[in-house]
Amino acid sequence: MSFLEKDLSKHGFRQRATGSEMVFTTLDMLLDYSVSSDEKSFARELLNIYERIVAERPASAGVLNILRIIIESFLKNGLQTISSLITDLRSGYDKALWASAEVACKRVSKGDVLMTNSNSLAVRRFFAKLKEENIDAEVYVPESRPGLEGLLLAEYLEELGFNVNLIVDSAMRYFMKNVDKVFLGAEAVAANGAVVSKAGSSLMALDAKEARVRVYVIAPLLKFSFESIYGEMIKLPEGGWELLMDDETRNTLPLNYVARAPLYDVTPPEYIDAIATEYGIFSPQAIPILLREIYGSYPPGITPLPKLVKQLKEVYNI
Amino acid sequence: MTEQGVPTKVLEIAEGIKTMRIRGAGKIARAAAEALKIATLEYGGPKDVSSFKKYIGKVADLLISTRPTAVSLPNAVMYILSSLHRANPGTFDDAANTVVFFAEKFIDESINAVKIISETAAKRIRENSVILTHCHSSVAVSAITEAYKLGRVLKVYSTETRPFYQGRITAKQLLENGVPVVQIPDSAVRYVMHEVDHVIIGADTVASNGAVVNKIGTSQVALAAKEARVRVYVVAETYKFSPTTLVGEPVPIEFREPTEIVPEAWVQKHPRIKVLNPSFDVTPPEYVDAIITEIGVIPPQAAILVLMERMGWALDKIKQGGLTKIKFEDYAE
Repeated sequence: MSFLEKDLSKHGFRQRATGSEMVFTTLDMLLDYSVSSDEKSFARELLNIYERIVAERPASAGVLNILRIIIESFLKNGLQTISSLITDLRSGYDKALWASAEVACKRVSKGDVLMTNSNSLAVRRFFAKLKEENIDAEVYVPESRPGLEGLLLAEYLEELGFNVNLIVDSAMRYFMKNVDKVFLGAEAVAANGAVVSKAGSSLMALDAKEARVRVYVIAPLLKFSFESIYGEMIKLPEGGWELLMDDETRNTLPLNYVARAPLYDVTPPEYIDAIATEYGIFSPQAIPILLREIYGSYPPGITPLPKLVKQLKEVYNI
Repeated sequence: MTEQGVPTKVLEIAEGIKTMRIRGAGKIARAAAEALKIATLEYGGPKDVSSFKKYIGKVADLLISTRPTAVSLPNAVMYILSSLHRANPGTFDDAANTVVFFAEKFIDESINAVKIISETAAKRIRENSVILTHCHSSVAVSAITEAYKLGRVLKVYSTETRPFYQGRITAKQLLENGVPVVQIPDSAVRYVMHEVDHVIIGADTVASNGAVVNKIGTSQVALAAKEARVRVYVVAETYKFSPTTLVGEPVPIEFREPTEIVPEAWVQKHPRIKVLNPSFDVTPPEYVDAIITEIGVIPPQAAILVLMERMGWALDKIKQGGLTKIKFEDYAE
């Protein structure tokens, strides 16, 4: 561990896969299994991944959605078509991310001052696209505790050549008066248009609303939580002190010291001006209309994931 | 009289205030009063009133220059100096005794203020309350502890308060007092706000319009509270009310070193990233339900009343030139 890493881990710095990165790694993993294993062990692998996601990243709608698509097809057609399905999903999601970023990009004028949170892949693509289109912007990046992924985003934006201001999460309101637009990524979008994103995002959106700054969320439709249509609550994982400091620092604090560190929070739809998807820009409340267009009816005819998992267990006797 | 004339202990206190070894508005104010007392007791110059006044004025200027934003500091200094001025002492001994007397009086009253404020604030807390506090404020810790002793506090959320983690001091002190505390990152303030009944925060400075200058993040906490219809109480001694704001001077917001946020090595590795580190922000009066002082509970908009009642004398001096332009070394003559 380098000195710098040690210095940062004192503050609870850690690299964590974003929702979109998890979609890609899950797809890559499943693609490997789909060519190397038999049906039963593939089924077992699907189940393992599902259980891990539910335990560790229950809000990650992207991964849950690809699992649903893959399990559904696997139950219908077996392993035969899975590889090509995964390849299609992968390139489809990649395209959707770029398309959403491109749509969001059009909302930025040259010289705008932006604020963003965490280190979402959709947000990074959005900035890459801005760079490509030669749209210059100044960006405020909060360090984004717990995890401090803001440092990684600041690094990335510096490489792209943007003027970056790194601030503490507490200073978001202080600087909001200088900001023109806020852009956020999403871990999940709920049926009512509420957006689950990195902790602190809802606070940023509140600050923005107070200052009459527009808030955009960049989220391909894969981030939509279909379960939420049926009232299912999106589970928000929380951690403790271990997300905020290293052991050494913990030892300087009283034995009965307790910390609560939520990883995500929920931004209500009324604080979001629009969601940029691969199908265009929509108000968050209009997402059901978009789903109706795509799936032909509302609610979309989709089997809930827990039901599919149950079938999977029954069929493969696991 | 040259710099060497200022006793080492006084210079140490000044340095302590400057480097934030001595922190918290009350502690800074009492340290300044203590410094003036020490300066008087260790005064080695000519034993006449005018040399002494000039010397004390110089010490006063030195103390005030250490932290331009800590309003309690000039208020403490001005309180003592103006008392000296009003006493109009005829002999050196009288002058020295006056400074020592009022320095001690200031320290006593300031400590007592915390007690009165805590008792007043505790009365405002309903049974089984969840309280949220930001940063570390001795008055807030004391008020919460008082309310806990009355059996009214179920739980306290204390924000970490980056970059310095003063919230850890709050958590530690409350735990020592037996109060259940949960620390949260600053980003989680809105996330937990729906569970919270009262926000209790200290103040660095209260401006004449009732705006509260406090640790960065305070205004965001107050905004999240307002959104959730949670009451926000500011606990503040009257010496935190800034007389200079009355003459239109804005409270300067200090930007501190990037290395308080990220390690030096990180800063060097990323020369094109600006790390902006404002220490304070301003909470507008409409986000504050009440300011609780040792002279009572006031609506923030009535801050001007406190200034007039407590610091009428200082207001006159400040109206003449503004605090930054006053040289107490000259004024004392």
